[in-house]
Amino acid sequence: MERQEIFDQLNEIFIDVLDLDECNLTDETSANDIEEWDSLSHIQLIVAIEKKFKFKFSSLEIMKWNNVGEMVNSIEEKLK
Amino acid sequence: MVVNSIIFWLFFAVVSLPYFVLLRKSYKAQNLWLLLASYFFYGWADWKMIPLLAIITIVFYWLGLQIKKNNKDNPKRASHLTTLGVVLGVGVLFYFKYLGFFVQEFAHLFESFGLNAHLSTFSIIMPIGISFFTFKLISYVLEIHRENIQPTKDFIQFATFIAFFPTILSGPIDRPGEFIPQLNKSRQFDYDNVAEGTRRIIWGLFLKVCIADRLFGYTSAVLDNYSHHNATSILIAVLLYSFEMYADFSGYSEMAIGVSQLLGLKVRENFHRPFLSQNTSEYWRRWHMSLTTWITDYIYMPLNVRFRNLGQYGMYIAIFINLVVIGAWHGANWTYVLFGAYHGIILIIIAATERKRRKFEKKYSLKKKAYYKYPRILITFLLVTVGLIIFRASNLSESFEIMQRLTYGYGLPFVNKTAFVFGIPFILLLIFKEFKDENKYNIHFLHSKRLSIRIASIIILLICVFLCGNLDGGQFIYFQF
Repeated sequence: MERQEIFDQLNEIFIDVLDLDECNLTDETSANDIEEWDSLSHIQLIVAIEKKFKFKFSSLEIMKWNNVGEMVNSIEEKLK
Repeated sequence: MVVNSIIFWLFFAVVSLPYFVLLRKSYKAQNLWLLLASYFFYGWADWKMIPLLAIITIVFYWLGLQIKKNNKDNPKRASHLTTLGVVLGVGVLFYFKYLGFFVQEFAHLFESFGLNAHLSTFSIIMPIGISFFTFKLISYVLEIHRENIQPTKDFIQFATFIAFFPTILSGPIDRPGEFIPQLNKSRQFDYDNVAEGTRRIIWGLFLKVCIADRLFGYTSAVLDNYSHHNATSILIAVLLYSFEMYADFSGYSEMAIGVSQLLGLKVRENFHRPFLSQNTSEYWRRWHMSLTTWITDYIYMPLNVRFRNLGQYGMYIAIFINLVVIGAWHGANWTYVLFGAYHGIILIIIAATERKRRKFEKKYSLKKKAYYKYPRILITFLLVTVGLIIFRASNLSESFEIMQRLTYGYGLPFVNKTAFVFGIPFILLLIFKEFKDENKYNIHFLHSKRLSIRIASIIILLICVFLCGNLDGGQFIYFQF
């Protein structure tokens, strides 16, 4: 799956979970940029991503993310 | 040696002169000088604990390098070493802070079965600042394991981060990724830093001696002898105690941050006008932030991740554990556990209703409406105040009795002139300033664009400190934690 495709799918997940009108994630987007993205919704996002892509992240992987780019790196790694 | 004492400022003068004059060209020399000063400062408070601080610093320095070495090639070993670091940090904290309490609780339990355990005299002296520096050590190994930072190869730099004297006794709890890189370059005498540091120290001093120490006269007189006071006095005392606590701890934090800034070092913020929060979830994001963000990053989020498939119940469990840990961090007493549990339950209710509330607020654009905002601020303050009744009580039954006494027997209150004449007007000034800060970010009083207003603010605050403050050097509440 192309990186852009992953971003498209993530945008959909973010819109759905965070109840947003629109979402344009980039590599640098972080929780500071989206008001609705707090620690509670973060976990819901992870669960939704794991469900969509049908794999599980390790706790350490999740704790390492600092922005969407790093999240996408992990997803790419898993999809290889 | 407290920040609001002459001896501290003598010490600071002796430290800062060579720091900015002789050593200004070499950051390594500045770091070493800061380290020596920090150990001297710590030794002044408790010299017997210096070996413990030094040894644990060496161990964690080594662990940091080892974790980094194994992160890529041997992730299992890196994980084990990280676990070792966490167990060691928590173990030291547990031994000094909680073991005596558990031994006594077991002794009581045995005694209730008619057995004499002979353990009631067991006591361990707690090293001062241990709750703060062990948290710095733990975050260091965790951040390296998460590959958020590189371990420092410079031992002096690491030891300076752990023992840094403005924050070692009571925080703010700094993070290695923010603090250590600042030690990589020399710090010069900088007018803006010194001006801002001075402003924060003066404001902190005002909070401590004009508000906290003034209110202490009233709150301790009433709450330590609550059975002799009527409900009106108790009500006034518990309301004032919330302000006392805030002024005491944020006053300390302002001074610690200000002193660090004088030395050209930025440390974490600890408070962000918590009493203007609109619910207690927001309150916990604005109160003792260096502790709550630490617990969020290293306890709450990992728990949440672990429990993520339990749906919202996983989150509720994580919230509850999180708050109980925050409570228990303050010390070995069931009151702190109950304090945490009380806030945990409120936060679970807030989390469970979050979505619906947000939608409702959006639909009617309530967020900025005064009739929605101010009652919520008041309710949050009252909920926090109830929590602090539990927090302050020396045992659970005392906290229940104080709450019970608030339900009957109102009459004329006990009057303490200095608390009422100085403390209460100064609280109003504090509230006024906080509202101004909240709405018009920091451009008045001490931060006005006009120099004359800035200078006048400083002079007025200093006059308040010297004429109206309690200068007997009361200890800070948070030193006991």
